[in-house]
Amino acid sequence: MSTLRRRLVGAWPHLRALFVGYHLLAVVVLSLPTAGAMTSDSMWRSANFKADIAGYAGALGSLGVEMTPEELTQRLRGAAFSFAGIRTAIAWPFDRYARLVGARQGWAMFASPQRHPAELNVEIKVDGAWRTIYRPHDESADWRGETMRHNRVRKYAGRFARGFIPKNYDELASWLATEASVDHPEATAVRVRLYRYRSLPPEKVRAGERPAGHYERVRTFDAAELRP
Amino acid sequence: MIRIWRAFVALVDRREPAEGLALFRIAIGLVMIYSIASMVVAGLDRVFWVDAADGGMQALRGDHWLLAALGGPTAAVIGALVPVGLVLGALVAVGAGGRLTLLAAAQVYAAIVRANPTIIGGYDHLITNALWLLFLGGATATLSVDSRLRSGRWRRPGAMIAAWPRYLAVFQLIVVYTTTGLNKLGVPWTPAGDFSALYWVYQEPTWRRFDMTFSAEPFPYFVLQVATAVTWFWEVSAVLLLLFFYFRATPGGSGRLRALALRWDFRLGFVAVGVALHVGILLTLNVGPFSWVSLAYYLCFFHPDELAAWGRRRGLTARPSP
Repeated sequence: MSTLRRRLVGAWPHLRALFVGYHLLAVVVLSLPTAGAMTSDSMWRSANFKADIAGYAGALGSLGVEMTPEELTQRLRGAAFSFAGIRTAIAWPFDRYARLVGARQGWAMFASPQRHPAELNVEIKVDGAWRTIYRPHDESADWRGETMRHNRVRKYAGRFARGFIPKNYDELASWLATEASVDHPEATAVRVRLYRYRSLPPEKVRAGERPAGHYERVRTFDAAELRP
Repeated sequence: MIRIWRAFVALVDRREPAEGLALFRIAIGLVMIYSIASMVVAGLDRVFWVDAADGGMQALRGDHWLLAALGGPTAAVIGALVPVGLVLGALVAVGAGGRLTLLAAAQVYAAIVRANPTIIGGYDHLITNALWLLFLGGATATLSVDSRLRSGRWRRPGAMIAAWPRYLAVFQLIVVYTTTGLNKLGVPWTPAGDFSALYWVYQEPTWRRFDMTFSAEPFPYFVLQVATAVTWFWEVSAVLLLLFFYFRATPGGSGRLRALALRWDFRLGFVAVGVALHVGILLTLNVGPFSWVSLAYYLCFFHPDELAAWGRRRGLTARPSP
């Protein structure tokens, strides 16, 4: 056995341990919230996030620390931007490795439950009247139900309540309208919109109240133009 | 410092029966098939993973080297990658093709799901992470077509492989739970929010399988409050399992915590809560293969000898010949 080969064989356990240590560090460092997640404008503006801040400001107040939600937001925003800078700096030695081998991280699941949902509604116009053909959890409006209930569609549509991205919404609306116009040749128009409301606390649900909301992000399409 | 390094090198040098990682491999292969096939069955593969210029829903570029090399998420590329991904998932499950199959499966799966980063889920990361660890561990040594071709037997009880890929899978899951818990900063996860997080999850339409209005009644609401507190505490305390494993690996030391860890198998309690949580998620929420892939990782919490003993007790495996 050559000297070089002997040295390599001798060093192998250490090299392997170095790699395992590197992988462990990568997993830990990359699991920290990304800069994008912490500094996203849409997140800071979302109703859900504002409700969380108000909740924490109230809790601090009950502990004798008086701070308005706006002041708390300012402080948290400053801290988040600082942390994002640090995270970006310490993550770069691992980013390429994680991208290459698929060892990406990021585990913010149900971090703040959505209390201001936006339900996707699809409607068609027939004989001058609008009819809802799709609405979540509505058996009377279950067009393409199997498809719409797929977890990736749920993920895609659920995001509009949290951080609205017009490009993503317009692409979904356009696709839904095209499919609906094909499936419903009697339709003259298709309308896609979100029904936004605030989920009710348990005492109001028990009292028989139903969430009241409003429609937003309305997109209307001429069905004839969409048909192939 | 040198002592710690030597202990770490010795830990990484450990070997163990190959059945543990083989079972993990089978489970991951099946989850990979489920993840891709569910999109095909729903007719969504060409909607979400193909660029709008080629008939898909969105303008996509994809962000994976394999996709870029093949020319991007066109109908032809996705039309080829999806069936290849399904075949590779099957090969992973049956253990054919050695490390090459495992590496190819990881890259092809990542290429498919990264065609559209908007709809990537945590379970996609868990699948690609698992495939990378299976590749590193050479997980086709037993319970595999490879084993059958090499030795004439599907199962080779004497096959030994490195233990550290399984350790890394356990570490991965601990990091997932701990950081998931630490990320739960929304007020409803805390006493200030009345531990109401799960109640709110069930009120919004995105993930729930069916109407959950009944969860507003006093008793179900109380159960959800308890479940919220348990979930959060269980997730953030996952990191303590590392301490448990350390105490179990160093039984000669002193201290009350070590004595407790040696006396009680806290790992079983952690696994029991985790299984209950994931079964609860499976029954009430549609979050795709998230629970399945998480439960697949749970296999790695157990030494292969423990799994074999469990199988023997239930008549699933024969006692190995001496």
